[in-house]
Amino acid sequence: MSKKVLVVDDDPDVRSFVVTVLEENQYLPLVAQDGVEGLEMIQKEQPDLVILDVLMPRGSGIRLYRKVKTDEKFKDIPIIMFTGIALRSFLKSQKVLDEFKDSEVPKPDIYLEKPVEPEELAAAVKKKLG
Amino acid sequence: MSADKILIVDDEQIIVKLLAMSLRSDGYEVVTANSGEEGLDVFKTESPDIVVTDIKMPGMDGLELLKKIKEIDSEKEVIIVTGHGDIDSTITALQYGASDFINKPVRDEALAIALERAKAKIAIREKLAEYTENLEIKIAEATEEIRRKSNFQRLLIKSSNDAIVAFDHDWKVVVYNPEAASMFGEDVKDVRNKMTIGDLYTPKIAKIFKNQAKEDQHQNTFPWKENIINTKDGRKIPVRYTSNVLHKKGEFVGTVSFFQDLTEIKRLEKELVQSERLAAVGQTISGLAHYVKNILIGLKGGSYVVDVGIQKNNTDKLKTGWGAIKKNIKRVGDLTQDLLTYSKQREPEFEECQPNEIVNEVIELVKDVAGSNGIGISKEFDNSIGQVIADPQTIHRSLLNLVNNAIDACIEDEDISKKHEIKVKTYLDKNDYFCFEIKDNGCGMDKDTQKQLFNPMFSSKGGKGTGLGLLVTGKLIEEHKGVVETETSHGIGSTFRIKLPLEKLNAVDED
Repeated sequence: MSKKVLVVDDDPDVRSFVVTVLEENQYLPLVAQDGVEGLEMIQKEQPDLVILDVLMPRGSGIRLYRKVKTDEKFKDIPIIMFTGIALRSFLKSQKVLDEFKDSEVPKPDIYLEKPVEPEELAAAVKKKLG
Repeated sequence: MSADKILIVDDEQIIVKLLAMSLRSDGYEVVTANSGEEGLDVFKTESPDIVVTDIKMPGMDGLELLKKIKEIDSEKEVIIVTGHGDIDSTITALQYGASDFINKPVRDEALAIALERAKAKIAIREKLAEYTENLEIKIAEATEEIRRKSNFQRLLIKSSNDAIVAFDHDWKVVVYNPEAASMFGEDVKDVRNKMTIGDLYTPKIAKIFKNQAKEDQHQNTFPWKENIINTKDGRKIPVRYTSNVLHKKGEFVGTVSFFQDLTEIKRLEKELVQSERLAAVGQTISGLAHYVKNILIGLKGGSYVVDVGIQKNNTDKLKTGWGAIKKNIKRVGDLTQDLLTYSKQREPEFEECQPNEIVNEVIELVKDVAGSNGIGISKEFDNSIGQVIADPQTIHRSLLNLVNNAIDACIEDEDISKKHEIKVKTYLDKNDYFCFEIKDNGCGMDKDTQKQLFNPMFSSKGGKGTGLGLLVTGKLIEEHKGVVETETSHGIGSTFRIKLPLEKLNAVDED
C-alpha cells in the first residue's frame, strides 16, 4: 500500500504542486490548509510523513511542529519543513521557543526553502520513506 | 572698658581729699591735682576716663583745662564744678564740650549722679563705636556678596549656550554674551553699551520688539519660535528663540531675548530622516523580494502541474495548474500597479460618479471569493448621496483593497465558530464628507499590527501580502483630500472608514 504523506499549506497553488509531485511518485497525498486542520489530520490518519509550511493562519507551522514533536504518539513521524522562511529564521524562532517553554525540540529532518524543483522535493520524500 | 579712673582737680586741697576719699570708697580709682597745670600733667600721664575740675583756680582755670583736655581727647568726660550763678562760665564750658555741671559745695549725691551720667555716656559711645565698626564690616560683607552674585550672574550670562541679548528702556544693548557674538557675528565690545536695537536688528524686527514692549504689560513671556537669521557675515542660522518684556512696577524697563543655535540639531534631524529612509528602502526591498518569491513559487508549481497534465492527458491537472499560473500573473499585474501608484504623484481625476454604484461593482468582484470562504457580504446605502464629483478610480481601488483585507481578516480568524460577515455602508458626515464604512468580524489586529498598518511593506499576511495595499489606499485617499480611519479589536474584528470631501453636482450647477 502507498505511504501516506500529509501536506499542510494554506496556499492552494503549493498544495496542488506538492500533491502532484507525490502522486507522480506513487505516494498517497493528504491535504490540510492550516495548522488546526493539520493536527486533526495527523490524529485521524497517522501519516507516514508530513510536509509542513511555516507561515499559515490558525496555528502556524511552528506551533504544529512543536505539538507533533512533543507528542509521544506522533514524535517519530518525519517532518519536512517546506517554506519561504529562511532556515536561519526558523531555527532562531525554535531556539526562542525552547528557552521560553524550557523544552528542547529536535531540528526538522529536512528543511526545504521554496521554491524547489519537483525532483528535489521527491528526493527528499524518498530519503525519508524509501 | 569701664569708666573707673577719675581725676579730681581743685586748688582747695581739703576738697580734693574729701572727694577722693568718698569716690574711692565708692570703688573708683582716683588721681588728684591741685591746679590746672598739674591737672593737665596728671591727665597726660594717667589718662583718666572722667575729669572733675573746679572752674575757678589760679593760673590755668577749669575752662582752660577743659579746652586742653578736649584738644587732646575729645571723647573724655569732663565734669565742671561751678559756683552759684556763674552763667557765663557755664555757657563757655558747654561750648568747650563739658559733659556736666555740679554746684559748689559739692554734694556726694550730685557728684554720684553726674558720674553715672558720664559713665553712661562713655558706655554709649563705646557701644556706638562698636556698632560703627560692625556696620563697616557688614557693609564690606554685603558689598562682597553683591559683587560675588553679580559676578556669578555675569559668568552665567557669559558662559550660557544660549545667545542672550538684552535692551534697556532706551533700546540700548546692555547684554550681549559671547554666544550672541559668535551667532550674530558682531564683537561684544562693539555692541554692548554702544549699539541700539536699530543697529543690531532689521527695522522690521526692531518694530516688532517695540510693539511688544508697548502692548504686553501683562503677558511678558513669549513662546519659543523657530526662524532663520541672517548674520553680519552672511551666514544663515536656524534658531529657536524667545523674548521677555521686562516691567518693573508696571514700567517698561527693557527686553531680553534668548537664541538657541539649531544648526547641529537640524543636521542630526536630517541625518536621522536619511537613515530612516534607507532603513525603509531596505525593508521595502526585502518585503518585495519575499512577495515576488511567492509569485515565483506559484508560477513554478503551476507550470509543473500543467506539465504533468499534458503528459498524462489529465484535464483536471491542466485546469489546476493553469489556474495557479493565471492567478500569479494577476498578482504580478496588481503588484506592478501598486508600485506605480505608490511611486508616482497622481492627481485624482474628478468626474461625476455614484459612490453607491462603485460599492456595488466592488462587491460584485469579491462576492465569489467571499462566498467560497463562507463569508457573507451585506450593504447599507445612504441614497441621498447620489451623484458626487470625485475620482471613481480612487474610490474603486481603495474600497476593493479594504474589502479584500476584510475577507482576509475573516479567513485568518482562528475562531471558526463565528459566522463571518462583512458590512459595507455609505453615509454622509455633516454634509461635508461622503463616507464608506467596511466592517468585518474577522481576526482584528493587535496593537503592534495596528501601529504598522500604513508603513510600507509591512504585511500581516505572511508572504501573501505585498505590504503595499493600505499604503496605496492611504496615499490615494490623501491625494483626494480625504482620510482613512481605523478601529480594530483583536479577535473581534476591524472597521475601516474612508471619508472624502463632498462636492455635489448641484453645487457646481449653481455657479
